[in-house]
Order: sequence, then C-alpha cells, then structure tokens
Amino acid sequence: MGQTIAEKILSRVVGRRVKVGEIIFPAPDLVTVHDWYIRECARALADFGVEKIRDPQKLLVCTDHEPVATSERASERQKTVRDIVGQFGIKLFFDVGRGGHGHMFPMEMGIVRPGMFVLGYDTHVTNYGAVGCLGIALVTEITEVLACGSAWIRVPPTVRVNVSGRLKRGVSMRDVAQRMISDISPEVADYAVLEFGGEGSSGLSFGERVTLCNTPVEIGAKSAVVECDVKDLAAMGLPSRTDDVDMKGDGDGEYSKILGIDLGSHEPQVAVPPRPDLVVNVSEVAGTRIDHAFVGSCANCSIDDLRAAASILRGRRLHSRVRMFVTPGTQKIAAQAATEGLIATFVEAGAILTAPGCGPCAAGYVGNLGPGETSINTGTRNDPGRLGARNASIYLASPLTVAASAVKGAITDAREFLSQDLEP
Amino acid sequence: MNWVYSGKCWKFGDNIAVDGDLMKLEFALTRETRPEVLRRHVMGGVDPSFAGQVLPGDVLVAGKRFAQGNPHIQGLIGITGLGMGLVVESIPRGSFRNAINAGLPLLPHCPDVTVLCETGDRIEVDFRIGSFRNATRGELHSFEPLDSSLLRIIEIGGWRANVTSRLASLVPQELTISSKNSTV
Repeated sequence: MGQTIAEKILSRVVGRRVKVGEIIFPAPDLVTVHDWYIRECARALADFGVEKIRDPQKLLVCTDHEPVATSERASERQKTVRDIVGQFGIKLFFDVGRGGHGHMFPMEMGIVRPGMFVLGYDTHVTNYGAVGCLGIALVTEITEVLACGSAWIRVPPTVRVNVSGRLKRGVSMRDVAQRMISDISPEVADYAVLEFGGEGSSGLSFGERVTLCNTPVEIGAKSAVVECDVKDLAAMGLPSRTDDVDMKGDGDGEYSKILGIDLGSHEPQVAVPPRPDLVVNVSEVAGTRIDHAFVGSCANCSIDDLRAAASILRGRRLHSRVRMFVTPGTQKIAAQAATEGLIATFVEAGAILTAPGCGPCAAGYVGNLGPGETSINTGTRNDPGRLGARNASIYLASPLTVAASAVKGAITDAREFLSQDLEP
Repeated sequence: MNWVYSGKCWKFGDNIAVDGDLMKLEFALTRETRPEVLRRHVMGGVDPSFAGQVLPGDVLVAGKRFAQGNPHIQGLIGITGLGMGLVVESIPRGSFRNAINAGLPLLPHCPDVTVLCETGDRIEVDFRIGSFRNATRGELHSFEPLDSSLLRIIEIGGWRANVTSRLASLVPQELTISSKNSTV
C-alpha cells in the first residue's frame, strides 16, 4: 500500500511507517514563531524554568505582523523580540525589512523545502505546502516544542484533490480556493490534509500554490500540500538543492476522500461577511459600494497577485471614495514589483504601498476600517473586527476583483475591464 | 486515576459554541485559567443553572462539533473543574487539543451517541476502554478510546503538568534523537 505525502513526511521524521489516527511526537525540521507571539513563548519558557531552547538552530523568528511600529508599545515589543533572539541564540531571525511574510520568504530563500516537516505558531503555516512541505500549526504547545523538542500530533487523514484544466481569463486561483472551501463539508476537511496533485497541478505558479494551501485552514483542515519536484521548484523560480526530494502522493495511498477540481469550470467568487466560506458568484454582490480595498496577506501576496492587480490598475485611477493598500509579501517580491514597474502603476492609480508582511490583515494595525465601512480585499478572513471596526463589512475576493472594485467604487467583475482592454 | 465516571447524563445538541454557549468570552479575554472560577460558568450561555446542578462523575454528552469556534481553553478547563467527563459525536481539532491540555477525560468520536441517552439517565463511562453504559436503558455501547499517550497527559493533569514532567525526564540521549532527523 502506498502513502500520502503527509504520511511519507511524518514516517521519515519518526523513523518508521506511521498510520492515520495514531498519536506521535515528531521532532520538526523547523519551528516558526512571529513577532506577536515569541514574547509569550519566552514568558512561558521562563515559567517552566527553561533557560535554553532545545534546538535554537531550528527556530525561525520573523517580524511580519507589525513590521512598522507606529506606537511606543509596538517599538517596545520589537525591542523585546530582538532581546529574546539574542538571549536564546536564534540565528534564523528576520527583523523588519529583512524577510517579509514568514509564510512566504522561507520558501523563496530555500529554508523551507520539499519533504520538510514544520510546526508554526500561526494557522497559515500551511502555505509551505506550496513546495511540498508539511506545515502544521500549534498554539500553546509551540512552547512545549521549544522546550522539549516535540509535541503530540495525530497522524491526519488525507483528502486527495486532483487538479485539471486551466483557469479562464479573469478567473484566479483565489476564486477556485474560495469555491472549494464553500463546497467541501467541514466534516471532511476537519483534521485532514488536502493533497493537491494531478495534471493541472504541475503547471501552477508559486502564488497559485500558496493560495491553494492557505485557504483550506478556514474550514478546519490541518494542512494542505501540493505535489512538488525539482522541476516545479525551477519553474516557480525557487532555489533547489541536489538532495531535494520529489514529493508526490502514491496513487494507491489510503485517501479518506478523492475529489476533483476542474480549473476551467470556475467563475469569479466573493466571500461575504462574516465567514470566508460564505461564498457567492461575483454577480450576486456586484454593485455593493466599497470604501476600502487591499491586495496582500499570506493568501495573496505573491508577484502573480501584484501583477494581476496591476493589470487592472494600469492607466486607471481608483474611485474617488476608495482608499487602497497593496502589501507585497516579501522584500524580494517588493523589489521585483519595482523592477517590473508594478509599484509605479499602484502609486499612479492612487494606491498606498505598505511594508512587506501581513499588511492590514493582521488585525488592521495599518490601513484599518472605520465604523460602518465596507472593504473588499484578499485577506484570509472576514470576521467582524478583523480590520478594525466591528461593524465594518469585509468581502474577500481575488486580486483582479479587488482591483476592479477599487476602480469602480463598488464590487465589480474584473472581466468587464479585461474585455475593454481587448478593444482597439 | 479513576477512569470510570458514573453519574447523571447531561445531553446537548450540535454546534455548541466554545465562546458564548460553553463559556463567557470575557474569561478567554482575561486569560482566566483557574478551574474553581471557570467551573461555575460552564454551559452558562445555554443553561445558567447547569453548573449549580451537576455532581462530580456526571457526564456531559453532546452532538457534532462540540466547542466549535475560536479554540479558547476556558470552557474545557471549567468542565474538568466540575469533575465531569465528556462524550461527543465530534469535536474540532483546536478544542480537542484544548480538552487534552485541560486534563479532561473524553471520548471524541462517538457517532449517534446523542440518540443513546437523555438528560437524567444514569450513565457509566470507562474512558480508558471506551465503554458507554446507559443503566437507565440497560444498554452497553463501545467507542474508540483515546490513545494511551493522550490518556497519560490527562492522568498527569493536562498540558502544564505534562510539560513539567517531560522536562524532568529529558535525558541527553533524547537530544541526539531529536536532531538526527533534521534536514535543515
């Protein structure tokens, strides 16, 4: 009997073949903690009397939730983070302006690679599935991992998702991902790893893979992973090493369910308040007036996402009522966007560029929403208060839909613009 | 530890929310973790008289997605504080971890258990082997118990006590094992 990608990775880590449902204590290849939690980790370690982290060389700390401190409290926190990094001898530290989003740059830099097992304090550590790595989020128990080297996890079942076809013009992977989490029952996704493969998956870009691995956690998936080999890494422009392994599921693996996604059958989708899985066709909410727009967050902060938004904004200006924020995921993506002229496009359209990282999606510390306002953005969630005011309304959509809506001042199907652009 | 809970059944339906139904959100926001405080508020959003009526050894039975929502641990600490056991049809991942962390004996996957009992029935549950006896109906059912490593965490008193115990027992050899598998 073959194995799923998650089973292969966990079997390697514990040194024997694992079976679904069993409890194991796997030592991760890497642990990631961000600027809004490492202080709490350090306090908890102090409570236990722990003075040394078990494997400091395996801990990555990054400042992505609040890179630009705009209050004394935030500056103090950043200083504390630097002190903790020094105290524990953490080498993989990416301060303000050094890396960007911790769910992105470790893949760009080749720190996160196919076949690795990563535990992270943050639900969207699943992004690492874009390169065939298994990322699982823990909360309180991250401190246990730092102190003891591991924490228990239950070997998850895997849902196989065979991807076929190609996206139609004006449709993006965010549309597919939103439709998917709306259609899959939480009873199927809960605890499970979604494994994407099939003929349609190998041609996916880095950004598309990230979006696919990011969204399923909103309905309770434990993780998500896309099949990945050295050729895929090269096609995505990511570094590879001679010892990188191909991560593919075995066809005869024990899958709890097998689903299919035809990329070509999808239309633009919008998640309506207050949950990311309340998803409708864009036509059902078109015309809804908006005040605020945002492209970024760990769901959609790749160069592909910025190119998509810029393709709509080029030569156009935002609606007079709308303010728009654009957050490149990483320093590298920001530099690439500058080289390609995308930043000039955003600025000329009237949008504001923020520091690489989470952007407004991290609780609205930058570019937030006022009472009664409405936003359309590419953030991960739309719970009340996610971007500031609790009575603000948040719609989630693809970078194309967000950019088109920002120009019109109301939720808009981006294909209207694409057809205009084709006219002589 | 006595794994056999013998007492009254208290039954609830599907989708009991962790915040609001099971426990007031304010206790999560103030990071209250004292069982003696939290026990008085268990299920307060559904039945404010609940916590005052239950006795140690009673069993809380619920349907699907018990303690769904943002995984705050306070409600689960409260159930432990009442001396109750928990039997559910399903429980989301975050709350499952929190139940273990709170040292709460539970059977997490008991399909259709809510049709096997009513509030007020005399129930006997052995959490170590997964037996569920309804003495009022004279029926015995069996569900999958927790893995022995999770039972051990509950027995020792939950997450904090378990980490303390792990730290005390760490030996130099384990350092070698944990770094052997590294690919970084």
